[in-house]
Amino acid sequence: MTDIVSLLTTRHAYVLFVLLSTIGLYILMADENLVKKIIGLNMFQTGVFLFFVTSAYRVGGSAPVLENGGPYVSPLPQVIVLTAIVVGISLTAVGLALTIRLYNEYGTLRVDALREVIGDE
Amino acid sequence: MSDDRDSSRLDGDGVLRQRPVYTESQVIMTTVKAVIPFVMTYGLYITFHGADTPGGGFQGGAIIASVFLMIAFAFGIESTRAWLSNTVVVGLGSAGVLAFAAIGFGPVVLGGNFLDYTAYYPVFGSVLGLKEYEFVKYGMEGVEILGIAFIVSGILMGLFFALAAGYSAEVEETVATSGDPRDGADSARLEEPND
Amino acid sequence: MDDGGGAPMISSLAPVVGTVDAAPVLQSVGITPIEIALFVFVLLTAIMTALFRDVLAGIVIFAAYSLGLALIYTFYRAPDVGLTEAAIGAGVTTVFLLLTIAKTTRPPTDRLFAPISWPAVAVCGGFALVVGSTLTAFPAVGDPMSPILQNSEVTGYYLANAYDETGVKNAVTAVLAAYRGFDTFGEAIVVFAAGVASLLVLNREVFTHE
Repeated sequence: MTDIVSLLTTRHAYVLFVLLSTIGLYILMADENLVKKIIGLNMFQTGVFLFFVTSAYRVGGSAPVLENGGPYVSPLPQVIVLTAIVVGISLTAVGLALTIRLYNEYGTLRVDALREVIGDE
Repeated sequence: MSDDRDSSRLDGDGVLRQRPVYTESQVIMTTVKAVIPFVMTYGLYITFHGADTPGGGFQGGAIIASVFLMIAFAFGIESTRAWLSNTVVVGLGSAGVLAFAAIGFGPVVLGGNFLDYTAYYPVFGSVLGLKEYEFVKYGMEGVEILGIAFIVSGILMGLFFALAAGYSAEVEETVATSGDPRDGADSARLEEPND
Repeated sequence: MDDGGGAPMISSLAPVVGTVDAAPVLQSVGITPIEIALFVFVLLTAIMTALFRDVLAGIVIFAAYSLGLALIYTFYRAPDVGLTEAAIGAGVTTVFLLLTIAKTTRPPTDRLFAPISWPAVAVCGGFALVVGSTLTAFPAVGDPMSPILQNSEVTGYYLANAYDETGVKNAVTAVLAAYRGFDTFGEAIVVFAAGVASLLVLNREVFTHE
């Protein structure tokens, strides 16, 4: 029991990363609406970004702007996350364009209705 | 299947479809008019000072794009796009890619590696009077401001206008009657046979 | 996640014994109240995004979730990432999602909460267990002795030499545009490709058919 408590107090941000990724995966799988699936995908991605930023953190450190001395946090995972956020918005935009096109072709945003309609063709 | 979708607001499920009707709202117009100079200044500041303070091309480009998104919300998406003119949006994105590629391939032309800014020093060092590491600094700033900020702001604005324009079947019919062969599976209204 | 106190705890655990590769002493650095508040806020908004049936409500709560995450990033000394998440995640993503439901449909809802699909919960629970079983292998959050901060060849090199070799003070920008500029070029092309792809999908040459 104290093991779980110590896990929660020392690796709390990693626990949050697992929870956020799980909730994002659940939205992606369980919800029938296409737009909500894209929201779930975004939430999964933000969970992974939190993991990267947490791995760079240092208690008592400062932001990696090399002005004052003192210990800095690591700048490299932040670079990865910066690029990944912008790639994530590109992915979201293309997914939403596909959603608009699908709605115009088949008249529905629900995945189960789409499966029936496309299966009939 | 698509015949009555454009004539009434009920779609195939019988669901009332949202259409982006522009309603003039005094609150939004006044707020946007007051706020956008400051947001634009802030976006430009973040872009230009990305080398010494937190910031850079990505953040500045997104903030500058959001200025035009706010204008579109206040004054109507179609009129903003007409005022902004497609050339500006497409030009921003393309000019950013070309500038980034030019700054990157310049050293290859001069005999160095791709994106190796110090290769500019033997040729331009005496002309511009800069030391070697300063070429790295100005190459980086050029890539960030002329490359990334242009690309991100231009493409985000372009995506906004593209998503707002949506997809309409009239485009398919106009293109098809001009004789352009396409896959006939898309449009339900296509009368002419394809070549 | 409650440590029972109001002050930050810094205590050291017993050294990790039994590993052959002589791992350094891992320090436990505790959890602070502001972290607890931010984590609870982010978790609540994430769960509400999953549970609300209305798409518009989900989008608005997702914007609040992005804002909470941007605050967490700023607290973890990553201001660049916080700025980007706030501008792009909370700003532009919300606008694109709202545009999509304006151009398609917002299905009418009669109940407030969506039905929970238990097979999906089982699969997600399995995923959480698998990933969570690796948690004990991570260093503590903020541990100054973690391998990533002790590495002198990558992290230490960039922090020590970025100002001398590039002349800029922001280490993140130096790595992004000078040391790892190739990845940034690829990412800029990805953004451009996304713009072109959305025009392709929506069948337009530019943004209207003029």
